[in-house]
Amino acid sequence: MLIEATHLQKFFTLNGGRRVHAVDDVSLGIAEHEVVGLVGESGSGKTTFGKTLIGLYDKSGGEVRYRGEVLPARYTAADFRQQASEIQIIFQDPYGSLNPRMTIFEIIAEGLRLRDHCSLASTRDKVVYWLERVGLSADHLSRYPHEFSGGQRQRVGIARALIVEPKLLVCDEPISALDVSVQAQVVQLLGELQESMGLSLLFIAHDLSMVRHVSDRMAVMYLGSLIELGPTEAVYFRPLHPYTQLLIASKPEPDPAHERQRQDPLIKGEIPSPIDLKPRCRFAGRCPKAEPRCFVERPVLREVQPARLVACHLL
Amino acid sequence: MSLVPSELSSKLSIAVSAADFAPAPHQAQRERIVRPSLSYWQDVWQRLCKNRRALSSLYIVIALLVFTLVGPWLWTQAPALQDLDAISQGPSWSSSSALVVEDPGTWPGVQGALRPREEADGQTLGATASLAVAGLPSTQYVRLYWEAVNGAQHYLIYRNDHAPESNQDLGLPLGATLTPDTLSFEDRLQLRPQTYWYSVIASDGFEEAALSTTAAITLQRAITASQARERGLDDTLGAAVALPAHPFGTDYLGRDLLARVMEGARVSLFIGIVAPLLFVSLGIIYGGIAGYFGGNLDILMMRVVDFVIALPFLLFMILFRIGFGIGPGESGIIPMLLALVLLSWPDTARLIRGQILQIRGEAYVQAARVLGAHPLYLIFRHLVPNTLGPILVTLTFAIPMAIFTEAFLSFIGMGVSPPTSSWGSLSNEGIRTMLSSPHELLFPAFFISLTVLAFNLLGDGLRDALDSRLRSRE
Amino acid sequence: MNSTQYVLEVDNLAVEFDTYGGVVQAVRDVSFKLRKGKTLAIVGESGCGKSVTVQSLMGLIPMPPGRITRGSARLGGDELLHIAPAALNAIRGKRIGMIFQDPMSALNPTMSIGAQIAETLVVHRGMTASAARTEVLELLHLTQIPEPEQRLNQYPFECSGGMLQRAMIAMSIACKPEVLIADEPTTALDVTIQAQILLLLKQLQQSHGLSIILITHDLGVVAHMAHDVAVMYAGQVVESAPVDDLFYRPAHPYTLGLRAALPGNDPQKQRLQIIPGSPPDLFAPPPACAFADRCPHTMRLCRSAAPATYTRPPPPASQASTNSAHEARCWLHHPQAPSSPVRSSAAT
Repeated sequence: MLIEATHLQKFFTLNGGRRVHAVDDVSLGIAEHEVVGLVGESGSGKTTFGKTLIGLYDKSGGEVRYRGEVLPARYTAADFRQQASEIQIIFQDPYGSLNPRMTIFEIIAEGLRLRDHCSLASTRDKVVYWLERVGLSADHLSRYPHEFSGGQRQRVGIARALIVEPKLLVCDEPISALDVSVQAQVVQLLGELQESMGLSLLFIAHDLSMVRHVSDRMAVMYLGSLIELGPTEAVYFRPLHPYTQLLIASKPEPDPAHERQRQDPLIKGEIPSPIDLKPRCRFAGRCPKAEPRCFVERPVLREVQPARLVACHLL
Repeated sequence: MSLVPSELSSKLSIAVSAADFAPAPHQAQRERIVRPSLSYWQDVWQRLCKNRRALSSLYIVIALLVFTLVGPWLWTQAPALQDLDAISQGPSWSSSSALVVEDPGTWPGVQGALRPREEADGQTLGATASLAVAGLPSTQYVRLYWEAVNGAQHYLIYRNDHAPESNQDLGLPLGATLTPDTLSFEDRLQLRPQTYWYSVIASDGFEEAALSTTAAITLQRAITASQARERGLDDTLGAAVALPAHPFGTDYLGRDLLARVMEGARVSLFIGIVAPLLFVSLGIIYGGIAGYFGGNLDILMMRVVDFVIALPFLLFMILFRIGFGIGPGESGIIPMLLALVLLSWPDTARLIRGQILQIRGEAYVQAARVLGAHPLYLIFRHLVPNTLGPILVTLTFAIPMAIFTEAFLSFIGMGVSPPTSSWGSLSNEGIRTMLSSPHELLFPAFFISLTVLAFNLLGDGLRDALDSRLRSRE
Repeated sequence: MNSTQYVLEVDNLAVEFDTYGGVVQAVRDVSFKLRKGKTLAIVGESGCGKSVTVQSLMGLIPMPPGRITRGSARLGGDELLHIAPAALNAIRGKRIGMIFQDPMSALNPTMSIGAQIAETLVVHRGMTASAARTEVLELLHLTQIPEPEQRLNQYPFECSGGMLQRAMIAMSIACKPEVLIADEPTTALDVTIQAQILLLLKQLQQSHGLSIILITHDLGVVAHMAHDVAVMYAGQVVESAPVDDLFYRPAHPYTLGLRAALPGNDPQKQRLQIIPGSPPDLFAPPPACAFADRCPHTMRLCRSAAPATYTRPPPPASQASTNSAHEARCWLHHPQAPSSPVRSSAAT
């Protein structure tokens, strides 16, 4: 494994001492050149997991190993500096992820400038190379982020992260805020770059069908817990956990005939608040198949079929 | 499958040739941006320029700065120069000319022979036979002399601004001669260039004569030779020199109000700009530290802010004055500055802390952290540039606040006191003569209002311009 | 076709916005018809003008900088555009309801949910406060909000996104409107909640005979909800069709491209077909076809003349009389044009 989180925990403490279980005991590894898709609804902790993994949040428990070495629990600027050319991240919001006061050149060159003191000319050449590699042109160097569309900004974010040539790229919902036709562009670009650079990707999203398109393995999170993990095609077409089944079945397909035969959604209610959770199955309250046991004991993630891990008492 | 054009399009159909349906040459797939490029501040400037109110306020602010900084080079009258001949004059653009006359006090007067009372005739005292002026009657002095009256022990001199109708209507008693042989009087009391009716009446020591002699005398504007020398004018006697006009009038000591307002603007704008610069900077540093480091330090620092906000400003102002050993009626710019700076920074600190907390969570700051950015780099490259907008707005609103505070303190006598002038102390002086010569209050008050209004409208416009920049993300 | 079956007809609508340096033509000649009791989906990417279109119907365009330069919109014969604010107020909220993408910002954070819904009833239906309260409770039951009695006195920040969207729906149908405009109602929600909200809208449509305009960018939602679809691109409707025709026989290369850009559900993993480039900036819309630069079938004509609208005959099997017309704004339907995927009858 290139990077491996074991029993990773991230709690936030609210006023009054209440704890938000954002990420609660998640173990997940990513091999070299592998793409892992991490899906879940809002509030599932998938973004927090990604950010805790790379040190943007302090870890509350568990550990992360990168090439076997334990990463610090609390990051300092020096830790980030050391890690910069190994691990990078791209963000969901294409508007908030670029400093509005900096030109595109300054934004993309940031990583180079922070790492080593290249000459301006060589920095410029590299920036232009990456700008063109993500489908923009050198004409855009002196423009400001607000002049670009969402898809164009996301490309700039990708160039900024990849110019330092990392091995692992965490993609935090990179396509959620984009239009359909642009989503495909960005996914395709990421796929190309992953292949040509031999990147490992952690691809976080809530759209399962897009994740299916890019990932080798798929992980599903619910309320801070990892509930299913397995090869993408297997999880997508033969989901084992009741929540994964409902999640996949809830997505409307672009096919009117199929949609006319759709049954009414089985899943009731909404994702509960992740504050002060009790030790029980996180999904028990909404699960149509829940048994008494699900309400008193928290299931562990275990292998139920070869290479397929599920956290459910019913299997 | 065949397709039929709809009704609409068949009517509109244009002549086409087969060539039109040939595949078009492939155009390079380039991401293009057609809108003109604008940086953040260019965009803010464009928006500000569209706001007429804000733009005219900006012009007013610039004009005020020019008035304060360049004005004294153009308007060279000394603000402290008193001209007791021109007290509380109304605003006027026309300059007047004056004659140069010799200094007062050089006239020996007229001595006459003592003419004892003729005991026999038992007559009452009569009026003097003549009343005349020696030399030129001017606003510097009027030198009267008269013929002796039999039996007069001394003479009383009156002045009126209209022809007296009776002995009861002689006007202002100027004085009396001390000896019977003094037959002259030099009047130097607040003379204006106008006609006066002087009356001389004899007295036998017990009662005044029943008859008086009155002469109408028209005065000319004049300055003395030594005054002329002082002001660098021609000091040859009898020369006509031009006196400067007073566009804003003069105050109760005859000082030029325009020059005083210009001088006062320096103090007002100094306080109004230096104090906000200092306390906004203090607030930025304090709020920046609290916001950037967060946690318990943030909580502690914000409680200090709450404490400072609760301190009463006026009380501390007084304490600072006492601490600096400045008594009542003395000028104290430094304690005023200190009080303003030490008690006004918390608002800015709160604002900046909020901004920093918000921006610290932005994805571009996180991206820079992951790229290995040092905290100082984050602060100066990402956090500060993105708070500049709100800082600028705060500063623009802090300036009129400080100017108004200075004016208020000087007005109640806690700030700048005479002879140093500021708009507040000028207003303070002006209020005493508000009923007789309102211009002395109106001009400084107008400048205070104009400045406060202009800065406030400018701040409003600036805030709108910055806000809409944030809103238009499409 | 009989025009009385249409509740809302929009003809040749054009909306412009003034910006620094020029005018943005956000909506350029948009026409559509909403059938009674049916759902019309307006599909398009961000910036294509779909939201501006419905906002101009509701009088929600800020003027200035916006301005409606052309067109008319009739709700059952009553004109909606260029009318006095008072007349518009009588229609807005009463005969047309609207729900928004972000219910949190569409609701007043300082009023309880019950009070906000009751306000609509008091203003538009002249109800007393107590009658309104009973009615609100009924509406909350209708929209299947759990524990409606409690929600009545809760404030928006106490509720989840799905709950707020239900409250918004309750508010918008409070005056029994003829038309409900839903502007991306589920975009901010999770898939499982989206399924619940879409089901609710469908149930309300059946029980109340609502006609719905659904603005969305999600073709899955369109397939689930719509009877008719209008596809917008660069401020124009490029294709409008009954939902089956749109999905199985798309007549515009853009519609075709959108379908292909979506990952399918086939067990065979296919490469995503992407539409290259990005939509034109409506600051300077192209003079001819707006899609020409991204279209795989561009002809010389596409760059020189604005395409005409062609009507496609219905497939033989369908009941032609009940369906809407299938129209596309594309030169590929010109009789002289070479054959292309948008003219073939095969389902894609």
